Amino acid sequence: MARTDIGPPNYRDMLPEIIKRNYGKWKYHEIIRPGVLKHVAENGEELYSVRVGSPRLVSVDFIRDICEIADKYCDGHLRFTSRYNIEFLTDKKENVDRIIEEVQKLGLPVGGTGNCVTNVVHTQGWIHCHSAATDASGIVKAIMDELYDYFVSMTLPAYVRIAVACCINMCGAVHCSDLAVVGVHTKPPKIDHEKVSALCEIPTTIQSCPTGAIRRHPDPNIKSVIVREDLCMYCGNCFTVCPAMPLADPEGDGVAIYAGGKVSNARKPPMFSRMIVPYLPNNPPRWPEVVDVIKRVLEVYAKNARKHERMGEWIERIGWEKFFKLTGIPFTEHHIDDFTHAVETFRTTTQFKW
Amino acid sequence: MEGETPLLDELEKGRWPSFVKEIKRAAKKNKAALDLLKVQELSYKDKITHWKHGGIVGVTGYGGGVIGRYCDQPEKFPEVAMFHTLRVNPPAGWFYKTDALRKICDIWEKYGSGMTNFHGSTGDIILLGTKTENLQPCFDELTEAGFDLGGSGSALRTISGCVGPARCEWAMIDTLDITYNLTMEFQDEIHRPRWPYKFKIKISGCPNDCVAAIARADFTVIGTWRDSIRIDQEAVRDYVEKGFDIESVVKKCPTEAISWDREKGVLNFVAEDCTRCMHCINKMPKALRPGLDRGATILVGGKAPIVKGAYLSWVIVPFMKMEPPYMEVKELLRKIWDWWDENGRTRERLAELIERLGLKQFLRDIGLPAVPQIVYRPRSNPYVFLRR
Amino acid sequence: MGEVTEELKKKILDYLKTVSKAKNKDVARAIGEEKHIVDKAIAELSKEGKVEYIYLGASFVKLKDST
Repeated sequence: MARTDIGPPNYRDMLPEIIKRNYGKWKYHEIIRPGVLKHVAENGEELYSVRVGSPRLVSVDFIRDICEIADKYCDGHLRFTSRYNIEFLTDKKENVDRIIEEVQKLGLPVGGTGNCVTNVVHTQGWIHCHSAATDASGIVKAIMDELYDYFVSMTLPAYVRIAVACCINMCGAVHCSDLAVVGVHTKPPKIDHEKVSALCEIPTTIQSCPTGAIRRHPDPNIKSVIVREDLCMYCGNCFTVCPAMPLADPEGDGVAIYAGGKVSNARKPPMFSRMIVPYLPNNPPRWPEVVDVIKRVLEVYAKNARKHERMGEWIERIGWEKFFKLTGIPFTEHHIDDFTHAVETFRTTTQFKW
Repeated sequence: MEGETPLLDELEKGRWPSFVKEIKRAAKKNKAALDLLKVQELSYKDKITHWKHGGIVGVTGYGGGVIGRYCDQPEKFPEVAMFHTLRVNPPAGWFYKTDALRKICDIWEKYGSGMTNFHGSTGDIILLGTKTENLQPCFDELTEAGFDLGGSGSALRTISGCVGPARCEWAMIDTLDITYNLTMEFQDEIHRPRWPYKFKIKISGCPNDCVAAIARADFTVIGTWRDSIRIDQEAVRDYVEKGFDIESVVKKCPTEAISWDREKGVLNFVAEDCTRCMHCINKMPKALRPGLDRGATILVGGKAPIVKGAYLSWVIVPFMKMEPPYMEVKELLRKIWDWWDENGRTRERLAELIERLGLKQFLRDIGLPAVPQIVYRPRSNPYVFLRR
Repeated sequence: MGEVTEELKKKILDYLKTVSKAKNKDVARAIGEEKHIVDKAIAELSKEGKVEYIYLGASFVKLKDST
């Protein structure tokens, strides 16, 4: 019988020697050029990390390619960051340029450090997800092709974290990112009554709806449910518990865009991202309308924010009314919250800008 | 393959590395990867997903770790009719030796599509797409190679932590050791879902929170300190002499705890006013360092909007020492799970339950003291249930 | 925390024969045992291939090969 519950490999066995020697004894770090970090230990030892962008969705041969570089220059060690970047670690300064040369031969960008746009945290999208309202990898590729220069440089007022989630389950820190794209359904679930009675637990399905829009089918002979369409806000929670209620719709599905979130505690506490564009249709393969909004907001931010200000800090300082003015994004009734925490967002002062 | 996927081919162009190139690379050797490419092209054409979630698949003894997936057009794409995904628990901090990675590659080439995510959003290695009959042998070989599955469903999800003391001077706690230690302690909770819904634990070494623990974890551990930051005045002056704009940094201190005395060339600092936000330390890593009385702030409840709205984690223990074997944190976790499992409704995350029953009730049931650090400000209404 | 006994496992299996599926906490309640120990026993039964976990929005456990 197979072994179970062995857990992951012990991280200690994976660490490079220089890290084992200086574990917990790092003194400071510098970014010596975009994409290259130098960490200095208490004892003066130096560790160089070359940070490299990856598309995340990669073949095993891609992994073998980067392993080859790590074998050549990093004694067979490498790591990934929480944002899918690859890091090549070496204690030999002379290896830095060689690593950069090799990864560039593979067509991979070196960057993602300091005040940059680093890699986009994202989900599966149409590649693998049953509840996706859009693709994720494709939008990321389209955005990063356009923002490439911001990945390989460090010219922004502060760093900018972008995330893409293919539905409002938001597997990824979309709700707390500087800029975020979220797949949205805009039509209520299409119910297959026969499948509901075969596949779904009626009480669980009814209970799953956050707005109470799901009711028992009025005909007691039909073991199924109905949806009150005026109450449905297309969250898809019912579809997760009952696969016979798909919401996906080629015409209705699209994306919403959010801005101003952060998770770091630096200066202002963490903030949620706020909706700036309620809906844009899916326009594969390059989603030009989405890329346009992201780029526009990023550039207005880059031009107007003060040094060290994250997107959300800048917007809070100038006011959202000013944000919409500067970016030219129209403010609509859909921007006004009418869900669970809505009242926190209503203005309770006469202080605002024109 | 040439010309068959005109929409996706567009995404081979451009400067950012292309996932389409990667799928094509796998498709040269693997029929499932080729069908994956075609299904994706069809989705780009139809603007809709072609995947269904379906029956229960998995490996013996586990209730999770595998995501069952089926194509809605199995006749057209037989190689991906079943396209299940394995979540593999990575080493803490995502450090790898290349031989370990190569073993995973070899196993996945043998049993799966050859496509992966390094990594998924929660931090797992994602092995994307295989048939039901391959799951068990693939899992068996993975465990031979020293790897195990991560969490899925209503279980403890794969725990993640930042790079921590391995390569960061700001790690107040040993994020890697805590991640590994808790992962080993709670293997049963990871592999056998039994709770109202998912539960996530993330561990960040400092308030910069590089793994988004405060936004994305039901149980958030963030390193912090109780004494003063350490200032090397010589190094501060060195920054300034090299043209560093120290005023712009000082101005952004949220509590005005630091000030720059240009005349004397001294950075003044009032430790008791500091809220340890990391801003000044981030900007001057050579001159400013966190304090030495270190531990963690424990917060709970962070999650994305589904169902009742998004929550950031709330402080429940302002300071806890984090020393192996981490008994205090394990005991706290077990109490929280029992409370949630006992009181929670199906698909109710911890934050939603706390909001429904009250933070006061939660603290009382768990046995944690009410201290002012837990709230921004006290209540404004008079509706107190006094228990005499 | 108590030990998992064969007797406890049998009690759990006997209970599961009477239902199509159940949550761990319901099993514990029905047979009057502490949940901690029931969790542990069910994990062992699952490793032995006698019960399996199913996920239907919530997690349940059921006898293997019974539907």
